[in-house]
Amino acid sequence: MTQENDSKIKHIRNFSIIAHIDHGKSTLSDRLIQTCEGLTERELKEQVLDSMDIERERGITIKAQSVTLDYTAADGQVYQLNFIDTPGHVDFSYEVSRSLYACEGALLVVDAAQGVEAQSVANCYTAIEQGLEVLPVLNKIDLPQADCDKVSQEIEEIIGLDATDACRVSAKSGIGIDTLLERLVRDIPPPKGDPDAPLQALIIDSWFDNYLGVVSLVRLFDGTLRKGDKIRIKSTGRDWGTTEVGIFTPQRKQTNILRAGEVGFIVAGIKEIHGAPVGDTITHTKTPDVARLPGFQKVKPQVYAGMFPVSADDYEDFRDALEKLALNDASLEYVPENSDALGFGFRVGFLGTLHMEIVQERLEREYNIDLLTTAPTVVYELAMKNGDVNYVSNPSKLPDMADVDEMREPVVRASILVPQEYVGNVITECEQRRGTQRDMQFLGNQIQLAYELPMSEVVMDFFDRLKSISKGYASLEYNFERFEEAKLVRLDVLINGDKVDALAVIIHRDHAHPRGRLLVEKMKELIPRQMFDVAIQAAIGGQVVARSTVKALRKNVTAKCYGGDVSRKKKLLEKQKAGKKRMKQVGRVEIPQDAFLAVLKVND
Amino acid sequence: MVDTLPPLSLYIHTPWCVRKCPYCDFNSHEPDTHGFTPRDLPEAAYLDALLQDLDGDLALAAGREIQTIFIGGGTPSLLSPAFYARLLTEIEARLPFANPIEITLEANPGTTEQQRFIGYREAGINRLSLGIQSFQPAQLHALGRIHSGQEAVTAVTQARQAGFTNINVDLMHGLPEQTPQLAMDDIEQALALAPEHLSWYQLTLEPNTAFHSHPPILPEEESLWDIQDSGHQLLEQAGFKRYEISAYAHIGHQSRHNLNYWQFGDYLGIGAGAHGKLSYIDQSGEWCIERRWKTRQPDAYLKRMNDLRGFVAGKQLISVDELPLEFAMNALRLTEGVTLNTWRTHTGQSDAMLLARLQSAEKKGLLMQMPEKLRASPQGLLFLNELLASICDESSVKSDQR
Repeated sequence: MTQENDSKIKHIRNFSIIAHIDHGKSTLSDRLIQTCEGLTERELKEQVLDSMDIERERGITIKAQSVTLDYTAADGQVYQLNFIDTPGHVDFSYEVSRSLYACEGALLVVDAAQGVEAQSVANCYTAIEQGLEVLPVLNKIDLPQADCDKVSQEIEEIIGLDATDACRVSAKSGIGIDTLLERLVRDIPPPKGDPDAPLQALIIDSWFDNYLGVVSLVRLFDGTLRKGDKIRIKSTGRDWGTTEVGIFTPQRKQTNILRAGEVGFIVAGIKEIHGAPVGDTITHTKTPDVARLPGFQKVKPQVYAGMFPVSADDYEDFRDALEKLALNDASLEYVPENSDALGFGFRVGFLGTLHMEIVQERLEREYNIDLLTTAPTVVYELAMKNGDVNYVSNPSKLPDMADVDEMREPVVRASILVPQEYVGNVITECEQRRGTQRDMQFLGNQIQLAYELPMSEVVMDFFDRLKSISKGYASLEYNFERFEEAKLVRLDVLINGDKVDALAVIIHRDHAHPRGRLLVEKMKELIPRQMFDVAIQAAIGGQVVARSTVKALRKNVTAKCYGGDVSRKKKLLEKQKAGKKRMKQVGRVEIPQDAFLAVLKVND
Repeated sequence: MVDTLPPLSLYIHTPWCVRKCPYCDFNSHEPDTHGFTPRDLPEAAYLDALLQDLDGDLALAAGREIQTIFIGGGTPSLLSPAFYARLLTEIEARLPFANPIEITLEANPGTTEQQRFIGYREAGINRLSLGIQSFQPAQLHALGRIHSGQEAVTAVTQARQAGFTNINVDLMHGLPEQTPQLAMDDIEQALALAPEHLSWYQLTLEPNTAFHSHPPILPEEESLWDIQDSGHQLLEQAGFKRYEISAYAHIGHQSRHNLNYWQFGDYLGIGAGAHGKLSYIDQSGEWCIERRWKTRQPDAYLKRMNDLRGFVAGKQLISVDELPLEFAMNALRLTEGVTLNTWRTHTGQSDAMLLARLQSAEKKGLLMQMPEKLRASPQGLLFLNELLASICDESSVKSDQR
């Protein structure tokens, strides 16, 4: 390695920020960018890294992004800081590990007023496991409720990280940022790697850009990549010519070269993200034998829901929109689904319910498609009597139970961190959701609970519920543990005797009756009266467990209509017709969309 | 070509009322707020305006015979017999009258007297429609009517003495605090006056009315149903035949004017806010149906005299696509429906085009299965809005496919 190269790599620092939502990661990254003058004041938009509208509105990061900053340290040397952003929600934890993989260090940012949260603990362990240097940072120290000593102690007790000399900053007011940058340069090791060795680069992320095609964020472990180089994607074996090479500052900036240890982007005329899979290795065409880097595990959707366009005319647009979304979201899976009640749509797999909400929101907002989404369901394992094992992610596709030997549901191990005063609420909630306590530890002022819970209970609204019963303090992290036999049944909804496939749910037998009762009552409120009585039944197998009736209207006719007001009466009819268009027909019964959403809302 | 067009009627609107009723969504105005008193309306100016308004419509209607005239409001009986005498003479000078012609005037029992009725009769008006609504003090009060039950009885008697042999009584039901018994009492009292025709409406709360913003408490649904059921029986037992959703008549006394609306006939509409519908064959031989409506506010309407803009506030051709609904909205209100031939002669369109839109209504059992007839089934009459909405649906399906 040449002296010059050696010096270059020694001045690189690749790092991520691990932080819980609201703990100030975005503010801190903005502050870092600004301090290093990556952006002028005028250019500094709030939360520059969270570029999607929805990310900004919800204050969360969904996709990993990066920014390269030049920092002139106290020693007079210029360091290249590559900050790789990580998502902060439990649904997207897999994205975190892949961001961390490209780094040598991480800042663990903890709100000095709130203390450590479960999500951060899990991510921090991942970082430590991957051999990263983790720097604890206490943020928001200028808040009156900040208690730095207590939080430092928590970090030590919960995570086991020495926090005696943790950086104390206020990203908002700029306190301690200079010290933090100095510590970052001092404590986080430079990457290793040889710019003269054959190219070995990891794809951290790929996304589709309407003008450029696929853009990939890469970390070079060895070698040097220049614009115009012929490269090979290891898994596909396909060769491409690089047309753009550069860094994010955070705007895309072409540098035409990336060296070992650096993080940046490449564009190589690839038309779909599957052509540059996340976790894959890139090398030069001329060095095809370079080893593949250990990639990432492909994430599997955990939650499935049917999505149907409200207007059948939107089906094609919906399919195109899903295709486009999937270009940038490798975790999104979809297959066509045909519902008797809702017509043609797709069964879509998501990482969690937040992911589902975001996808639905993007489809509706960016692609202008009105959608009906059915109740989300997890994947069940069925041991069949003939010895087969099947997986079902759609209640209406459940086979004849006579052929099923055993039905198993996914169980997760959930780790919940909660201040002592709310622990009673949390335990009650977990018990109601069929949880089994596995561990309980007192860590400073907080309690760490470990529970095994059916995944179906966790994905629905558990996270929101936890937040609301703990004044927002409880935090959650969970992982799939195993499939476990459970007394599961399918709860069907029948409207005037017709089964409505889109309303079926798989549910624990003990919960089926009360839920059936709630559901039919809710549906009764939402289905308008029609020309005939509408019977709503909830049933398990052939057994009706709850029923209610929407009484028939006596009549629906306009009392007066003469020549003069025909156009007004016509407008009323057209309104009625527009309302009907939004209804779905089940047998003779017209059902408004709201009624389909009732399944999701029976807990309200 | 002209003989093939539908029959033509004339509607004349008078926009003033002594007091606006809280349920009324027609174009009626209290003259006080416009600088007149009910006894001092600008009759001469309005008469001139009406005739000029009519002249503006003649281009499309010249030579066609007027089958019926209906003078509605507002309260037409606020205007003098002399006004109508001159008005009708002037109209006949412009358009031929059918023989016999039906000329109806709406009258409020609180604004009439013997002399007026005689005058109206002499002016050529041969049918009276009396807005009685109820005979019970509590209900009349709730409806904001300016007359009493007794005045209503007197009005009918006076009209009879003045020589009217064709009288309609407007009654409402489903009124605030009205029990089924009270509703039947109203019908009994109306029957005692031996009208030839009875319009029996359920009170509905329409947008842009006082009742809509401050809804009164109405009878419960089951009670309403009871009223409707018993009232219908009572009327039929008394020899009345229901021929439209809310209209009952003795044989031979159906309202010719309203029948023309419901059979999708043509009509000119003159006066403030009046609507007209007129068919004509254009130069290329195409059958066109135009709706036009006149300036609504009485003051503004009067100011359109000798104004280059004329009285028309807007006009629109009914597209062929809209015809099935427009036709059904009217024709299916008739308990006996209409023949398919009426569709052909009143729209100039083929049967197939109409029948294609009726399939889903047929499937729902809302139409009678009668060849050559378009008629709602008993269920279809009760759920006419459902029936009509299903016709809309098909038109939207069709336009979506395009």
